[in-house]
Amino acid sequence: MPVLAAPPRSVLDSLLNSGVTRRRFLEFCTATTAVLALPIKFAPQIAQALETAEKPTVIWLEFQDCAGNTESFLRARAPGVGDILLDVLDVEYHETIMAAAGDQAEAAKEAAIAKGGHIVIVEGSVPTAANGVYCTIGGKTAVQILAEATMGAAAVINTGTCSSYGGIPAASPNPTGATSVPDLVSGVPVINLPGCPVNVDNVVATIVHYLTFGALPAVDGHGRPLFAYGERIHDHCERRAHFDAGQFVEEWGDEAHRKGWCLYNMGCKGPSTFHNCPTQRWNGGTSWPIGAGHGCVGCSEPDFWDTMTPIYGRLPAPPGFGVTTSVDKIGAGIVGLTAAGFAAHGIAKTVQRKRAERANETPIEIETTAAPGEEGAER
Amino acid sequence: MSTETTPATPAPDAALGLGPTLECVTVKVWELPVRVIHWTVFLSVVALSITGFYIGTPFVRVSPEPGFLMGWMRAIHNLAAFVFIAAILARVIWAFTGNQWARWDQFIAVSKERRTNGWDGFRFYAFMTSKPPAVLGHNALAGATYLVLFAMFLTQIVMGLALLSLETEGFLASTTGWVFTVLPIPWVRFIHHLIMWLTWGFVVHHLYSAILFDTEEKTGVLSSIFTGWKRMPVDRL
Repeated sequence: MPVLAAPPRSVLDSLLNSGVTRRRFLEFCTATTAVLALPIKFAPQIAQALETAEKPTVIWLEFQDCAGNTESFLRARAPGVGDILLDVLDVEYHETIMAAAGDQAEAAKEAAIAKGGHIVIVEGSVPTAANGVYCTIGGKTAVQILAEATMGAAAVINTGTCSSYGGIPAASPNPTGATSVPDLVSGVPVINLPGCPVNVDNVVATIVHYLTFGALPAVDGHGRPLFAYGERIHDHCERRAHFDAGQFVEEWGDEAHRKGWCLYNMGCKGPSTFHNCPTQRWNGGTSWPIGAGHGCVGCSEPDFWDTMTPIYGRLPAPPGFGVTTSVDKIGAGIVGLTAAGFAAHGIAKTVQRKRAERANETPIEIETTAAPGEEGAER
Repeated sequence: MSTETTPATPAPDAALGLGPTLECVTVKVWELPVRVIHWTVFLSVVALSITGFYIGTPFVRVSPEPGFLMGWMRAIHNLAAFVFIAAILARVIWAFTGNQWARWDQFIAVSKERRTNGWDGFRFYAFMTSKPPAVLGHNALAGATYLVLFAMFLTQIVMGLALLSLETEGFLASTTGWVFTVLPIPWVRFIHHLIMWLTWGFVVHHLYSAILFDTEEKTGVLSSIFTGWKRMPVDRL
């Protein structure tokens, strides 16, 4: 193994200590440059930054979550590259994976916070109803824990839809008053990496971007980094050609489904969802939901549980009607009722005219003295 | 109330008594641009509705051979949309430059006379009188209906452009992206569908009212949208 001089506690130092070769390291830098949608000339810059950058201290908070983002994080792609972040990050606190427990764990967290300049990764939404009693750890509510942990932090990274937008706990009727982290944190740069769960490649790339450029990547209107959420799933979908051709799956398991045609009619939310799933994929880049034959559920969009449902329907169900009623049925009904109403009006109007014509054979116009509202009073 | 009438109304029932014995004048009410815009809007709405309905609910089954059916539908939809937008823009401009029957105050009843006319229109529809409101252009009630239609069209245009901006970048996305901070994407599509149907509900009403007034008023309103001319008995002018 080549001996490289790396500053102690630097990212590269950790990597070399954990047996990552120089070649592997550069591969990682190149791959991450691609995830960040940066020109390849940035790869050396990223490599250089990681060589000298001090290991960032990370506090990983879990609130109203399913630990799915932790699962995603632990399954980072390709050994060596994937483990990288876990190895190089100084994760001082992570309930699911830390060895310490109880007071010991809390003390480690408090020490890291006191030092400042740490990165806070949040998983799960924060309940605010009933003074936050729905999620307490070590006698403190999630609201308090979040406020303490973000004080003096360099950045807050929300992993998953729940911490980014409230997610499933915040879905109607939201009994716990689940709130997103951006709604509660101020004064610290916050970035959202929604998804159910988050794609770990995007977490890695975001942290690398931060280490390289000293700032979080550029975001869209929903606080999501453009490198990962700048393009619509529909526009990069491998089944897009079937959409354009008008070739659609009509039923699960039908011939079209077996052929891998477009899942548009099955309620796929790809046309409404911004995420790099089609290009970055999941499980080490092997597959992704649409590739596996199921439509996108729009999990990385705000309030997806309320706005992207029904999962197997294209459009939301009209409020007040059953979920099987579509906007088109309602609309066609409106047109039908309008036609029926005016048909009845036309008949009544014809009757009125005929009667007026009969009365008009001896025309007396007393309109100016007629009281309005009394039908036929002018005659 | 409502005893105030236009000078013509005290005369023998003009609407009903209109016959060959009464002297009529013909007036060019709808100028050529108004008629061209009317039919451009109609045709583009037809094209937009058919292609839009297909885009929403692909009802045509295609052969297993690869084609470009959805691609063409979307291309026609986008093209018709820009024709439609151009027509609506032209009509808005014409509302300030056209003749008295094309002007903006036909749609917004600012004068007392127009408001009375609108009330007369309501009374006519509500069977309170058999006499149509005396007017050469739109009656004020109809004008208000067109204002609602304009509002629907404006919503439809903004939402359509916002949906188009999902797949584009730059000007369109930066000018219409705010829509999605107000409404989630699926609800924008929902309302886009609903307004299409409401527009056809309007078409039913519009056609019915045209036939009704043509029958009751006998001013040639049905043919006027082709020729531009309406006829009126002199005493109603």
